[in-house]
Formats: sequence, structure tokens, C-alpha cells
Amino acid sequence: MESAISSILFYVFAVAAVLCAFGVVAFRNPVSSAMNMALCFGFTAAVYFGMGAQFLGIVQLIVYAGAILVLFLFIIMMLDVKAEEHARRSFPLACIAVIIAGIFAGFVTKVAISLPGATSGECPALVLCESIGDLAPGAVEQDTAAKNHTPYGAAMPELSPAAAAIELGADEATAAKATAFPDTKLLGKSLFTKYNIPFVILSFALLAGTVGAVALGRKLRKN
Amino acid sequence: MTPLAHYLIFSGILFSIGLAGVIIRKNIIVVFMCLEMMLSAANISLVAFSRAQGVNGIPVYDAQVLALFIVAIAAAEVAIGLALIVAMFRARKSVESSTLNTLKD
Amino acid sequence: MIHNLPWLFLLLPLIVAAIDWLWFSKCPRTAATLSTLSAIATFALCVAYLNGWQTGTPDVYTWLPVAKEGMTSLSMGLVTDALAMRMMLVVTGIGSLVHIFSIGYMKGDTSNLSRYFAGLSIFMFSMSTIVLADNLAMTFIGWEMVGFSSYLLIGHWFNKDSAADAAKKAFITNRVGDFGFLIGILLTLAVFGTITFAEMGGKAAGIAPALLTATVICLFCGAVGKSAQFPLHVWLPDAMEGPTPVSALIHAATMVAAGVYMLVRLQVSMGTEAFTETACITIASVGAITAVLAALMALQQDDIKRVLAYSTLSQLGYMVMAVGLLAGEAAMFHLYTHAWFKALLFLGAGAIIVCCHHEQDIWKMGGLAKRMPLTVLCFLMGTFALIAIPGFSGFFSKEAILHAALETSPVFFWIGAGVAALTTFYMTRLCLVAFCGQARDHGAAEAKEAGPTMLLPLLALAVMAIISGYGFIADFLVPYAGFEAHGFELGLPFYVSMGSLVLGLIAAFIVYGCGKRKTDPLAGNALSTALRKRLYIDSIYDKGLIGGIQEYGAQIIEFADAALIRGMIVQGFAWLTAKIGMLLSWIQNGSLRGYALVAGIGIIIFMFILAFTIPTI
Repeated sequence: MESAISSILFYVFAVAAVLCAFGVVAFRNPVSSAMNMALCFGFTAAVYFGMGAQFLGIVQLIVYAGAILVLFLFIIMMLDVKAEEHARRSFPLACIAVIIAGIFAGFVTKVAISLPGATSGECPALVLCESIGDLAPGAVEQDTAAKNHTPYGAAMPELSPAAAAIELGADEATAAKATAFPDTKLLGKSLFTKYNIPFVILSFALLAGTVGAVALGRKLRKN
Repeated sequence: MTPLAHYLIFSGILFSIGLAGVIIRKNIIVVFMCLEMMLSAANISLVAFSRAQGVNGIPVYDAQVLALFIVAIAAAEVAIGLALIVAMFRARKSVESSTLNTLKD
Repeated sequence: MIHNLPWLFLLLPLIVAAIDWLWFSKCPRTAATLSTLSAIATFALCVAYLNGWQTGTPDVYTWLPVAKEGMTSLSMGLVTDALAMRMMLVVTGIGSLVHIFSIGYMKGDTSNLSRYFAGLSIFMFSMSTIVLADNLAMTFIGWEMVGFSSYLLIGHWFNKDSAADAAKKAFITNRVGDFGFLIGILLTLAVFGTITFAEMGGKAAGIAPALLTATVICLFCGAVGKSAQFPLHVWLPDAMEGPTPVSALIHAATMVAAGVYMLVRLQVSMGTEAFTETACITIASVGAITAVLAALMALQQDDIKRVLAYSTLSQLGYMVMAVGLLAGEAAMFHLYTHAWFKALLFLGAGAIIVCCHHEQDIWKMGGLAKRMPLTVLCFLMGTFALIAIPGFSGFFSKEAILHAALETSPVFFWIGAGVAALTTFYMTRLCLVAFCGQARDHGAAEAKEAGPTMLLPLLALAVMAIISGYGFIADFLVPYAGFEAHGFELGLPFYVSMGSLVLGLIAAFIVYGCGKRKTDPLAGNALSTALRKRLYIDSIYDKGLIGGIQEYGAQIIEFADAALIRGMIVQGFAWLTAKIGMLLSWIQNGSLRGYALVAGIGIIIFMFILAFTIPTI
């Protein structure tokens, strides 16, 4: 019942997000576009929540729908560009763009439904192992790993709070009592242990972005 | 329940709408928004795979960390991109991409 | 180590030429001394070998190895048999004398003497390569090298247009023959399976006569070019633009005889059965035609060197005729005596020219017998040998050729006899006009005897011109294995040759008297003009062949240049580039959306390839 509701919610949010995305492209006024994009990002965040990725959903809301969108709106307002876009639209170009987008979407769909095990319900890792054959190195390890995988064609695997608790160092008894899935904790563990150095480097990228934005944005002194 | 394929198709549709927007729209700010949308669409498939590849009920967090990095980079990119747009507007008094054709002449 | 000593024949002049040119180009005296010493050293080495000093076979160096079975590697080896070593004696002997003579002759010349002596040394190297080569490829290398050194030396005074033209003419005319020669070498390789002389023997028997004929005639083409046989004879008279010692060494004694030497070498190594009847008749006819035409043209030449040049042509025709009559022995005998007395005549002419202040026209000389008796005496010795007065060397060798001709084909015998009469006539004319009577010009009037560096070689050559024909010397020195001089015998050849000698002498004395005449009494009529104009052969070549080739060649080149290169390649590429550029500039329209479109198409193509064409693992 619960899973059925979350499934329905996914489709609702997904369709809403796609409609908002259409709006971004279709509205002539950039402010409308920006508002549509905020909605689109919000629905996307809802889809994240549905997938159990709460932290990323929050980040999506705060960074995209919050910070970035505000920045966009701020620039639109500052430059006062709302009066444009009355110029002719290139109809052939729009047609070509739609065709390209359609082909792309078609390709993605084709790839998505032809993933290993997507139709047969087999385990993807097992399918891979079979097609590689026994000659491939590490075939045995993959074979054992395959047993723990869920087929792509089936529903997403359920999240297990107990396994997560054990992963985070709790003993069996405490873990068995766990009810909520500690998504943020696990992400933080991965981010600050395995990906610590890339994380630090990323901060430099952000710093560089800040400095660059300031340097570009200041008025050039007229010589 | 929703299989992985549906998330991927959703992501792909969002991406192709963004692509079409980049091609169609003239307003460079909107073009930039569409770009952000494409990045976001890529994030969706990352998170979906993170969940689908999960073992013992724990998602693969490598993919989510990557998505987080993409968000961070997108933020920096927006900062610089908008600064560029401001600079361009100062130079040309317009945000039309059709005015960016100096290379042609 | 010591068995490789014959390589010195090649290396010594080559190294000296390099040293002359690289280090001593500013001190001609040192260069001249070095060159002369190297020539004398090779001569001494040659004499040592002829005296039976054997050191064994020199090493053969593989030059271009061919690993495949059944293919021939190109190698460099030397033959030191009697034919080669005795020919080397002629080359190095006359070469040494010419070097010594050159020191005197070129004294006071303002041109670059180091270049001259380096050229002489390069010539010695190349000629030795031809003579000592143990295979046809190496012969060909020497063949081209002598052509090159001949070009250098004919064009020594390249400031003169005529000398530069003559050098080019000689080089280009030789190319025509060399082309045939090259085909002949390849044919030899195909037909005989080898180009090494030592391996050719006995293989001719199993080969189709048509193939043999083609091979031999192609090889003969090389001789036609190098030995200046009709129809490629035109370069030799013009080659007289070079310094006279060069004419003596290259264009009288050695290089032009290389064709004869090569033919005899082939006869010896392939066996006479390789020379089919057709080939023989062709060779003999070409020789006979050259002998007759050249003798006729010599009748009306006024330039002392040109008379001698045509005489050389005529005598070379004799030798080639003898080769064609399968009398290689007689041909080599005549080559050997001719080398000595013709070198003598040229050097004598050179001394006369120098002493008459570079006057070459015999009608401006006269009375030289009183002013420079020794030089004139030497010259007369050479003349007597050439017109075959009994007792002089030329007499014996000409008798040998006439004998051979009579045995094989009387037609050629009578042609030979006729040429002998003509030879006597023009040589007597030359001597009477130049040496008797009174000086007709101040140059001849002021002539004095030549200096010692010029006289000594003349005397040495005069001695050889007299004695070299006698059996006791010829048996040891004639470049032919197992040569035996036939004793002089009374018979038809003797009577006929005496008859033609007397006929020529009497006719010349009647026409030219004792040098009292100021102009040629035979000149003025159509025949004389034709002979003076070299029977118009040169003009025909100039106008018909060269003019035609240049005109049509120019049209072809014009077509290739204008249509193919400029039209298709240059302008075509420009056009193509412009079109592609226009296409690309349409893509590069500066429109951001256009770029996004192209990027989108690219993504789709990339995705298609990635997802649908690469098989999933």
C-alpha cells in the first residue's frame, strides 16, 4: 500500500516536473521561465525524496530552487530583460530541435528498457557474468555479488534501516530496532571518508568560481 | 512499484527538453536555465542508479556523492555564467544569443 | 691485405680528386702535383702487375645485398686479367703523360686549375672503374662517371658559351646511348641470369638468338654513345672545346675507346657465340658507316683539333667494325696503337696551339716545321702511324683489321681500304698546310719550341707510336689475353693498303702542293660545303630532333603546367578549399543556437554508436 502510493506519487511528480520543464522552454517571459524552473526543481526534489535520497532532495531545494533560481531572477530583474523575445522565432530550427530532442528521448527509453534484466527479471550482474563468460577475471566474485542484486526490471530494492545501522557500527540488537533509514549519515560517511580529498578540491573550485564571478562582474575602469 | 527504467526515462525526457530549449531559445539567460535543467536531469539518473544498484538495502552512495558534486559545480558555474551574462549585457545591451556573432565577421 | 692492392687504381685518383677539390682549390700547383703523382703511382702499380707481380684476386664487396634466393646481389669486384691490366697500362700510361703535359699546357691559364686536375683525377678513377669492373653494373657506374668527368673537363672553360654547350651536348648525347646500355644490362640479367663477367661464359648456347641479338644490340647502344658512333657521333667534334690534353686523354685515347673495350670484354666473357649474325652485321655496319662519314667530314675541316677529332671517329669506326667482324683481337690491337699515336697527335696539336697563341685554324699556321722542329717531328711520327706507313705502329694494327675484314666480309675490307686512302689524304693536307710554306699569320710567325713538360710526353709518345706495333712489344702489351702479333706478310691487304696510302699521298700533294696556297682549293663547291657543315647531320638534329622535342615538349609541359598543375592541383585545391570553407563558414555562423543544434546532433550520433552499434558485453 505504502509502496503503491509512493509509486503513484512518482508518476505525479514526474509528469509535473516535465510539464514545468516544457514551461521553461515555452514561456516567452524569462521570469515565467524561471518560476517554471523553480517548480520543476521542486518536483525533482520530491522525486528524490521518493527514492529515499533525502539529503540530495534537500540540496536540490536549497541550492537549485533556492540559491541558483534566486540568482537567475536577480539577474533577470537587474538587466530588465522581460520585454524581449518578441522577435521572430525560427520555426524550422524549433522543429529540428524538437526532432532531436525526441530522438534523444527515444534513445534513452530504448536503452532504459533494454538494460540487462530489465525485461526478463534476471539479475543484471548475473546477465553480465553470463555474457562475459567464465574466462573473465573475477567471474566468481561477480557471481556471488550477483546474488545480492535486484533485477533492473523489478521494483527498486527496499531500503533496510537495520543493514544501514550495522554499516554505521551499531550492534545487531540495536540495529534490529532501527526504523528510520539514516540516509544523511551514510552520505556524510561516504563524503568525508572515501571522497574527502575531492570534496576539499571542490571547495577550491567554488572559491575560484566566486573570485571569477567578482572579477567578471565588476565594472571595467575606462582608460 | 516503480522500476529503474521509468526513472531513467523521466531523466531522459527532462534532459531532451533542456536540449531543445538550448537550441530553440534566444534569451541567453533562459538557455542557461535549460542547461541547469539538463544537469539536474543527469542527477536524477545518478540517484536512481544509486538506489537500484544497492546491496542489502543500502544504496550505492558513490553515485549520490557524485550528484552532490554536480550540484556544487553547477552552483559555481551559475555564478560565473551569470557574471558573464552581466558582462555581455554591459557590452551589447542585450542578452540575445544572436548578437554573439562577432566571430562570424 | 695485399691482394686488395688493385683497389688502389680506383681509390688513389678518387681520394686525390677529393683532396684537390676540398683542400687545394686555392693552390693549383699542389693539386697538379698530387694528381700527377697519383697517375704516375697507378702507372707504376700497373707496370708491376704486368711484370707478373701477382697478389691474388681482390676481394669482392657486396654493395646491394639481395637476400632472396635466385636474385642477384649487386657487388663490386675487380678483374685483373690480361685484358684489364694491359688496358690499364694504356689508361695510366697516357694518363700520366697527359698529366705532365697539362702542367705545361695550362700554365698561365686563369681558370681554376685545381678543378681541372681534380677532374682529370676523377676521370682516371672512373676510367679505371670501367676497365677493372667485374660486372656490368659497376661498368655502368664507371660509364656514367666518365661521362660526368668528360662533362666537367669539356666545360672547363665554361665561361665560353661554345664550351658549355659542347659539354651539355656530350652529356646529353651520351645519355641516349646509356639508356640503351641500361636496358642491355637489365636484359643481360634477365637472359643470362648474371651480370658478372666471370659467370657469363657458356650460357649463350641455350638462349634464343632473337634475345641474344636484342641484348647485344642494346649493350652496343652504350658503345655507340660512348665511342661516338653514327648516329650519336655528333658530340665528339664539339668536345674539342675542352683543353687539348683532355681531348688527347678522354676524347682520343681512352674514354671513347671504352665502348670498344666493353664490347670486347663482352665477347670474351659471353663467348663469340653470343654475338649473333644480325648483331654482328649491325655492329660492323655502324662502325663502317662511322668510319666513312667521319673520314669524309675530316677532309674539309680547318680546325686542327677537329681534323683529329673526325680522324678519331673514323678510327673508332674501324675498331667497332673489327668487333662486329668478331675480330676482337684486331680491334684491341688497333685501340692500343691508336691510343698512343692519337694521344701523340693531340698533344702535338696542343703544343702547336699553345705556341701559336691559341690559334687552331690550320690556314693561319704554316711554316711551323722551321720554328718548332721537334714538336713537328713528333707530330709527323703520329701522322705516319695514323696513315699506316709501313714500320709504324698503326700499320700493323690496320693490317690486322684489314686481314680480319678480308677473311670475313670483303665489303668491309674495301670500305676499310677506302677510309685508309681518305685518312692519308686529310692527314697529309693537315701537315702540308700547317707545317710547310710560310707563316700566314703573326701567331704562327712568332711560334717557338714548346717547353720541356710538353716536349717530354711528346717524345715518349712518339717512341711508343713507332715501336708499339712490333710483335715483341705488342705481344706483351696489347690488351688481349694471349695476343700474338701476326707477322707482316705480303698479300692482298698489304697491296691494297699500300695502294690507298700512295693514292692519298699523291692526291694531297697534287692538291695542296708544298704549303704555298693561302686557301683551300677544294673549298667553295656544294660537296665541300656539305662536308664542312658535317653533312648537315648536326643541323638536322638541332632543327628536327631538338627543335621538335623542345616545341612539342614545351606544349606537353605547358599542358601539364597549365591544365594539370595550375588548373587541377593549384586552382583545384584553392577551389575545393574555398568551397569547403564556405560550407564550414555556414556552420560557423556565430549563432549559439546553431552550435547547440550541432552539439545535439553529435550527442545523438554518439549515443547511437555507444548504445546500439557496440555489442553489449
